[in-house]
Amino acid sequence: MNLLAFIQRAETYLGERLPVRKLNYDALVRKKEVPVHRLSWGYYLGGLALFFFAVQVVTGLMLLFYYQPTVSDAHASVEFITEHVPGGALVRNMHAWASSMMIAAVMVHLLTTFAMKAFARPRELTWVSGVLLLFITLGLGFTGYLLPWHQIAVNATKIGLQSIEEVGAYLPGALAEWPRLVKETIQGEASVGQATLSRFFALHVVLLPLAMVAVLALHLFSVQLHGMSQGVDEPPRRKEKFFPAFFIKDLSVWGVAFMVLFVVALCVPFESFYAYPLFEPYDPKSSTPDGIKPEWYFYFIYYPLEILPFWVVLLLSLAAGVGLCCTPWIFRHTSRRTLRLLAVLGALYLVIMTLFGEHIYRLFKG
Amino acid sequence: MLRWLALAAALLPASLGAYPEYHAFVVKNSGRPINCALCHRHADGPDGAAPGQLGRLTSEAQERLGRARSAFEPGVKVDSPILNAFGNHMVQVLGRKQLMELKMAPEQLAERLPADSDLDGDGIPDVRELRDGTHPLNRNDGHPWLLFRHNLMRNLTQIALTLAATAAGLWGLSHWLRGFAAATQIKDEEEESESA
Amino acid sequence: MMDAFLFVGLPYLSLLIFVVGCLWRARREKFTLTARSSQFLEDRQLLFGSTPWHIGIGIVLLGHLIAVLFPKVWASLLTVPGALLAVETVGVACSLLAVAGLSVLLVRRLTSGRVQAVTTPADLIVAGLLLVQVVVGLLSAIHYRYGSAWSTGTVVPYFWGLIKLQPDMSYVTGFPPLFKLHLTLAWVMVLLVPFTRLIHLLALPLQYLWRAPIWVVWNNARRRREAAVAMARAESRREFLKGAVGVAGAGGLLALGVMEKGVSYFRGPRLEPEMEAELLTKKLQRLQQTAEERELELERQRNPMILVARYSELTENKGKYFIDYSMAPALAFKGKDGLPLLISAKCTHLGCTVGSEVDAQGRILCPCHVSYFDLRTGRPNEGAPAKAPLPHLGWALVDASGKVVARKSPRGPVEGDVDPAALAQCSVYIIKPQASAT
Repeated sequence: MNLLAFIQRAETYLGERLPVRKLNYDALVRKKEVPVHRLSWGYYLGGLALFFFAVQVVTGLMLLFYYQPTVSDAHASVEFITEHVPGGALVRNMHAWASSMMIAAVMVHLLTTFAMKAFARPRELTWVSGVLLLFITLGLGFTGYLLPWHQIAVNATKIGLQSIEEVGAYLPGALAEWPRLVKETIQGEASVGQATLSRFFALHVVLLPLAMVAVLALHLFSVQLHGMSQGVDEPPRRKEKFFPAFFIKDLSVWGVAFMVLFVVALCVPFESFYAYPLFEPYDPKSSTPDGIKPEWYFYFIYYPLEILPFWVVLLLSLAAGVGLCCTPWIFRHTSRRTLRLLAVLGALYLVIMTLFGEHIYRLFKG
Repeated sequence: MLRWLALAAALLPASLGAYPEYHAFVVKNSGRPINCALCHRHADGPDGAAPGQLGRLTSEAQERLGRARSAFEPGVKVDSPILNAFGNHMVQVLGRKQLMELKMAPEQLAERLPADSDLDGDGIPDVRELRDGTHPLNRNDGHPWLLFRHNLMRNLTQIALTLAATAAGLWGLSHWLRGFAAATQIKDEEEESESA
Repeated sequence: MMDAFLFVGLPYLSLLIFVVGCLWRARREKFTLTARSSQFLEDRQLLFGSTPWHIGIGIVLLGHLIAVLFPKVWASLLTVPGALLAVETVGVACSLLAVAGLSVLLVRRLTSGRVQAVTTPADLIVAGLLLVQVVVGLLSAIHYRYGSAWSTGTVVPYFWGLIKLQPDMSYVTGFPPLFKLHLTLAWVMVLLVPFTRLIHLLALPLQYLWRAPIWVVWNNARRRREAAVAMARAESRREFLKGAVGVAGAGGLLALGVMEKGVSYFRGPRLEPEMEAELLTKKLQRLQQTAEERELELERQRNPMILVARYSELTENKGKYFIDYSMAPALAFKGKDGLPLLISAKCTHLGCTVGSEVDAQGRILCPCHVSYFDLRTGRPNEGAPAKAPLPHLGWALVDASGKVVARKSPRGPVEGDVDPAALAQCSVYIIKPQASAT
């Protein structure tokens, strides 16, 4: 009896979150509307991230034609792509730049949806799938970083993986060994080597993209089913049709994004922001070169790691992670004004850490 | 940057038997870490037994090395087996004698080199790359802004075409928007007149 | 003599008659500066005749005009790879379009009663001449290919010579007869302009292109409403059309770019043999390097002792990297006491490889997060990110005959006798951890 009631409750819950009865042409295409107000620009960011993901898929597949995921050939094949394949430098550069742009779009998307309280009932599942997508995106960034197998790639990966092992020091008893086991499982062998490269390659090229597509389907699906969130407190005075009006505007935004990406990828090599010794092939029998850093999108956690004690960062990031996943329930009753303030604070933190992390680090460490 | 400086100071004395003064100068001037591959074949400099180092030279390469070492006056075409194209270029235009003298004043090295030479063709003269601590033989390494300007000029046709495509697309899409708006309006009016 | 008439005399004659005739006609019969009606009351044949003819001939004439007016720009444009082929293809396609349209027009003019009623002999002559002219042009374009390129060096200077009153027909006297015919006919056409419907060349109705449509409406309420709807509909259709043009243009350009880049990307580089050999050499070197690393691994699994270096290779201030039994990097130095000093180079903080240079205080530095490790004790400096010391490794000294002279376990004392004089002949080995324990 009790079980039956539980099943019924679960059914109503899911029924509200995934209203499949709306799964028809009328609701999805003809009726869907987008509110027009001063925060409307936020509605374009998800689509923008989607566009960059599509670019990543296409350029990634193109790179696969020449890339070879072995310790001996990886670096040479990447060099071959940039130096000899016609248009190879452009394709590779577009992959690098689009990854950064995608992550930037995803981050701003997260902040705006938070500020607009787009996670409120019945959109909890949309939010949670979005957070999942964020983690997958960061995972793609981390795994992709290793593939060129140059100094910065391997050494930064080593540091990143070693941080997992560090967690062990704060776990009691038998649990203390677990992080090391996790690290070695991911790594595949005692130190970062061929096994790691193979694993990261499989993760970056097959597993994570597949997971991304699956979660993305759920995410987009629920966005379509629920329609756009209202986003502001006062009911919007005007609404526009999603199809075709908003869709055409979305296309325009993509067009501009593509142009910017193309020009930047054509003109500024992504590597020019790092010193060249970092781009020599990885040499296991030499010292780690200076200036090893993760990509800019990890600065927000990298610099705190450098400055603060490890356990503080660990606790904070754990709290942030749990907070992100449970946002729809934690902030259920929070007003949009407060949420906007929090989002602005979050944005400030990200911007300051990304732009001035190095300066802050030096301030603390002399 | 301070970190790198400290490092450079720590690393210098032993590892850079050949020209530590120049290395120190570039690191100090640019604030970027560099290694011996700026001028040498091997990233660890000439000492060692790896390809491009003294320990692994064929007799033919030994001969080339000898010729390069005796190029005291500028203008001799050299092809030293331990130097890369930039290193050879410097020996060729300055001569070994001047290079050795300049060790005392490494900041003058950049001034003595020809200002218009650009070995990797990335639009940034070698002299500037030396000051910036970027590689004079790597097209993808250089001051991002300078690279942007050079590549913009080089790919102007493609960029103009892309701009044209984007402009045409935006123009077309905006007209579609207006077209849809007009069509919706007609429909609304017809419905109204029907109901009225 | 014939050439002189055709290429110098006729042109001047034509130009003179053209200018004088047009001026005369403009003053005398202002409202005839156009073609006579071609009876708009039916639209089928006219659509398939007039439109292709005017589009085709318009583009072809525009090409001629640009080449004549801006020969340098035109020639430099044609140097872009594929541009010449594209221009020629467009030219031939447009000529074909024009011929097709003109044929339809001619048939209509000859067969339709309505059109016959307004047809003068001059119209027929002009139409026939035009057909011949376009066909001759088409034939010469096919027979003497790439005219768009070579004409900038021949016809264009000839033309400008005429304009500058310094006629030089040496440019054109060597032309094949077909091409001479094309030129001559062109001058004849110029001559005919003032007297025929060709005069409408001077009255291009360009404003029609962007003018809003004019609606003629009966004046009553219902019709007015209908007209408003029809107008809005036409307006929205125009917008859609404009949109389609823009998007198609963008899509076309994009597809072209993607095709150009994509095809050459997938085709891959065609390298010089030397380059290919160089790349292969590099690849082989890397493979050998990898094989060596793999061998190291095997060696560590099989051998109880592994050679690190000859003793004479060790120094006090610069370590020699080697790989220890756990496949992590380690450094070998000569200690202050003259004995080997082997220390792990894997930073105890986050696993970076520690640098090999010893600073003035006898420390080695991990560059990642700046920890200084004291070489003698292995301990990091105060406040360094690394907390645990770098472990020392055990070693064995083996003399030239292969006998172990001395050995030291990581924490134990030195076992065996070390004769400083014999040290130079010795080699340093590391000992497998389990082996040293038993």
